[in-house]
Amino acid sequence: MADKSAANGQEALEEKLDRLSRKPGVKASIVLDRTTGSIIKTSGDLSALQNAKSRTESATASFSNEANVAEESQSRGLEEFAALIWNYVNSSGQLVQELDGEDELKLLRLRTKKQEIVIVPDSKYLLTVVHDTPPA
Amino acid sequence: MEQRREEIRAKAARLAELKRARALRGSSESRPSIGGDLSDIRVGGASRADERRKIDSFIDSLLGESRPGSTAPGTASPGGFQRGSRPNSILSAGELSNETSESVPQPPATPSAPVPPPNLTTAALTTVFECPPSPVKEVFSYSKGVQTTEAWTEPARPRAQSTISDVDDISATVLSPSKRPSRRERDREEELRQKIREELEEELKAAKEYIADGVVPAATSTNYPSRDLTNEELEAVIHSDDFVDFLDRSTKVIERAFNQETYDILTDYALQGQEVEDEDEETGNTGGRGKHRVKEVVQFFDDRWSKKRMISGIDFSPKFGELLLASYTKNPTAPHEPDGLVQVWNAHMHERPEYVFTAQSDILTAKFSPYHPNLIVGGSYSGQVLLWDTRAKAAPVQKTPLTGYGHAHPIYSVDIVGTQNANNIISCSTDGVVCGWSMDVFAQPQELLELKNPSQAKVAVEDVSPTCLSFPQTDPTFFLVGSEEGKIFPCHRYDRAGAKAGVDKKISYKGHTAPVMSVDFHPAKGPVDLGDLVISSSLDWSVKLWKVRAPAATSTIGAGDGNIKPLMDFVREDVVYDARWSPVKPSVFALVDGAGWLELWDIAVETEEPVSKISPSARQDGRTMLSKSLNKVAWEPNEGKRLATGGIDGSLTLFEVASGLGGKEGLKNEDWTNMKKLVNRVDAVGVNGAVVV
Repeated sequence: MADKSAANGQEALEEKLDRLSRKPGVKASIVLDRTTGSIIKTSGDLSALQNAKSRTESATASFSNEANVAEESQSRGLEEFAALIWNYVNSSGQLVQELDGEDELKLLRLRTKKQEIVIVPDSKYLLTVVHDTPPA
Repeated sequence: MEQRREEIRAKAARLAELKRARALRGSSESRPSIGGDLSDIRVGGASRADERRKIDSFIDSLLGESRPGSTAPGTASPGGFQRGSRPNSILSAGELSNETSESVPQPPATPSAPVPPPNLTTAALTTVFECPPSPVKEVFSYSKGVQTTEAWTEPARPRAQSTISDVDDISATVLSPSKRPSRRERDREEELRQKIREELEEELKAAKEYIADGVVPAATSTNYPSRDLTNEELEAVIHSDDFVDFLDRSTKVIERAFNQETYDILTDYALQGQEVEDEDEETGNTGGRGKHRVKEVVQFFDDRWSKKRMISGIDFSPKFGELLLASYTKNPTAPHEPDGLVQVWNAHMHERPEYVFTAQSDILTAKFSPYHPNLIVGGSYSGQVLLWDTRAKAAPVQKTPLTGYGHAHPIYSVDIVGTQNANNIISCSTDGVVCGWSMDVFAQPQELLELKNPSQAKVAVEDVSPTCLSFPQTDPTFFLVGSEEGKIFPCHRYDRAGAKAGVDKKISYKGHTAPVMSVDFHPAKGPVDLGDLVISSSLDWSVKLWKVRAPAATSTIGAGDGNIKPLMDFVREDVVYDARWSPVKPSVFALVDGAGWLELWDIAVETEEPVSKISPSARQDGRTMLSKSLNKVAWEPNEGKRLATGGIDGSLTLFEVASGLGGKEGLKNEDWTNMKKLVNRVDAVGVNGAVVV
């Protein structure tokens, strides 16, 4: 029963992230560790999880037909993105902390002209989802 | 180690100062004229020599701040007086020998060197360690002072200044207190800074190396990422309960956030000439017109859980209007999945259930507890009453035993009656057993009632076979059960005057000719009491309206056979599985039938036809044959604007009604009085009719 449920849990995890990425407009999601910022899980279109510069970089890298280089630059872009998100969440958390020490950051929705980034921070992890917004 | 060293240093300094002070005293006593010659301050100190005790205490209190110049001789000499008061002779003798030896070199040293006070201390250090052994008492008195470690250094400074002051000019004394400690501290700070600088440089170097290697480019911005996780660590994290819980919660939040987006708050109407889509009145699945309109809001279906199951019960959360639960029978094609299932859906999260609860046997009915918004009570095919908690996992937190006390037959009906502080679960199984359970004790029922068929004529089966039960709003001791034979029986939970607990033998409500599928008391939340009105639905293709006799008044019915006829009869075109009063509109009820229609009736408007009807949109991949039948209907209890239906195809459909059928705005007292009048009129006509017959 236990191992079955564990297997189920694993499946359910995949399913949950999959379900998220299948939702209309959702481009990608990434799970980070809250304390260290390490990347735990990603899903969806990873190129959405990069800044524009590294996106073009990886695109040119893929043109050069060197799979290695492309992959590397993509993972680097991913890490940069994760770092940005992590820093953003931390500074937001700091803001909240300084406004009211007993308060806690619960949800970040960042609307931009092109997309929306939704971040759910938790004590241990944080989930980030990038999705398209209806044209506004 | 550092601290210790400092203490020692401080001690040494103090010793030296005291020595010097003593030397001064000796010099001042022996040559007061010299002191006067040296400075005015010195003179002041000498003139006040008789007030030394006072000054001494004053100085003690002001040690840190005191202007050492004037007080210096005071402190020095009275210190000597007090401490040396008893062994004065001995000390002075002993000291004098010492002091003179020291005081002699001092005066010449002071004018030449006001600058190197730190040097003086170091010099004192050596002398102290070599010389003092001879005056043992001295050491004793100092060691007393040593015990307050903090105070040690501070008093040392002013006294040290004092020694200087009587030779230095005032400016020097003012400077010295800031200089001396600062130099020491500065040394330490300098050391620390140096260390930090080194560390920083190392880090910078490392970062530069990283950049040069291109290994971790992000390292420039803070210390991120700390490092990549290894595969094992990733696995460990992913499998941890924490992570699973987190993902569960956070994805829910995000899905809700997405579903919430019916309106784009950032829309700029000025910017774009884009046509703003007006929500077309006729888009989507709607039924009825105008204020009797019904609109399908959303359909809940989970591919994994809802598949091939039938909905057996629906209930809205009494606390959170957006939450509703549906109980499901088993999926015959998936023997490894739990048979019983309850899903709690959220109107703001369409794609998946908020909670999933399971059981080992088909769940035939489920309800939120009105008094504990976290608890869900269900009845199973195996005869168990189950309790789930939304704070717990999927499995029931409590269940009644399968054997022994309680039910041995399927439970098609449960209810929670009572008050906030005293409530019971009432469950009813098809063998006629009605049990009352305490929320805390599921091991055995608090009360158990066996319903027996009261009819005089010998019937094959003595049991009543209840299919459903309903309690009036006002009385938790009286209830109605609908039976498979078509009669509706009034029952008492307890013995009363003139009536034993169980089925009331004098009365039965006879009208249905097929099993009764639902009985529902009027919610009666209005200016006129309509709590005695009941609607029942049955497989005989009809819904009937009854007026229930108050339980106390039953004895007044004399002769008659005690069979009461329905007030009204609503004949339908198919079997009716469920009928429910609106929680807010007194004359409105909803019914669902075997053909898949949800019908809304307003008997104040029309008693022959429903005011509106709608069928839930069929699922794309659903079966077409025999899949439309609806089993259950439920109203949202607080606003009364939404209702949900569910049936054979396992999808739960949420509808919203227009102002004529639900919602609290536009409620008028006339609605209630009109309903009352209508019922009275019909009652009268019915009585006349009975007379005619």
